Amino acid sequence: MSWMSSPIRHFGRVAGAVLAITCAVSLAAWAGGAGFGDDDDNSEEEGPSYFGFVRDTSGATVPDAKVTVGAKNRGGVVTRTDLLGTYKVPGFGKEVDPKDVEVSCDKPGYKQLRVVRRSSPSSDPKIPIETECTLQRI
Amino acid sequence: MRGAVIAGMVGAVIMASLMVAGVSDRTAAQSPFGDPNAEPAPFNPQMAALMSMLIQPRHTKLGLAGNAENWPLAGYMLKELKQGFAVVSKAVPRWKGLPVPDLVDAAVSQPLTLLDYAVKLKYRRQFDEAYESLTKGCNACHATTDHAFVVIKVPDASPFPDQEFAPQR
Repeated sequence: MSWMSSPIRHFGRVAGAVLAITCAVSLAAWAGGAGFGDDDDNSEEEGPSYFGFVRDTSGATVPDAKVTVGAKNRGGVVTRTDLLGTYKVPGFGKEVDPKDVEVSCDKPGYKQLRVVRRSSPSSDPKIPIETECTLQRI
Repeated sequence: MRGAVIAGMVGAVIMASLMVAGVSDRTAAQSPFGDPNAEPAPFNPQMAALMSMLIQPRHTKLGLAGNAENWPLAGYMLKELKQGFAVVSKAVPRWKGLPVPDLVDAAVSQPLTLLDYAVKLKYRRQFDEAYESLTKGCNACHATTDHAFVVIKVPDASPFPDQEFAPQR
């Protein structure tokens, strides 16, 4: 009997491996696991990004304004508004509480009047935290 | 004997799995575009399709009408273009997390107002300036949304051979 047990055991191992692979492939296909997600979607690790407009007191957007987005005790990021008067800054990391992040704006000939943070309409981490920074001519 | 029975059962399970996989593959292979027997899905065009359907042709027609000083047609296309922006803002209020109504407002509200005056006054020079400003607004918005490679320009020819843009006397 022992002369048969070895080939049967071998066959059993091979069959088990084939079965496992077959089931894994079938399950992946059934679950739609072919990977349709964005390759660069790392929002879960990064935490929310920051986006907003810089406007003057008339409501017009202000291009090329300096915007500083700073996290408490971590330093900050300096960027500039684009032609549309918007800025975008990636997330600091999940461990940074967005409440500890401050946005300020500046442009020669202006002073910052106020910064208003919009209430978040969703808990979706892909939706950035929005602020509107208003500059007043001096 | 017992080993042979187990081996037979394992073989049967493998065959069954392969058959199931084969059936799913055949079903999926019927058409890469979907199941012909499925219920019709609601038509839900997203940003790129909406831009191609509702915005770009109207921007083009507005430019061609203004260039021909066909003010009734320019006024009509301007109204259609504004409605197109409203539809896009409602259909896709956020795109890649960004607030579409705010972006549209920042990009095109002012030039659209200036175009409205120009059309009502039948003032060609102001029309040209405002249309140029509108086109720049489109491109600024494309840049903000990481689509700077989509460059809109003042049309230099009509892609609508079946439409007359010159005013009818």
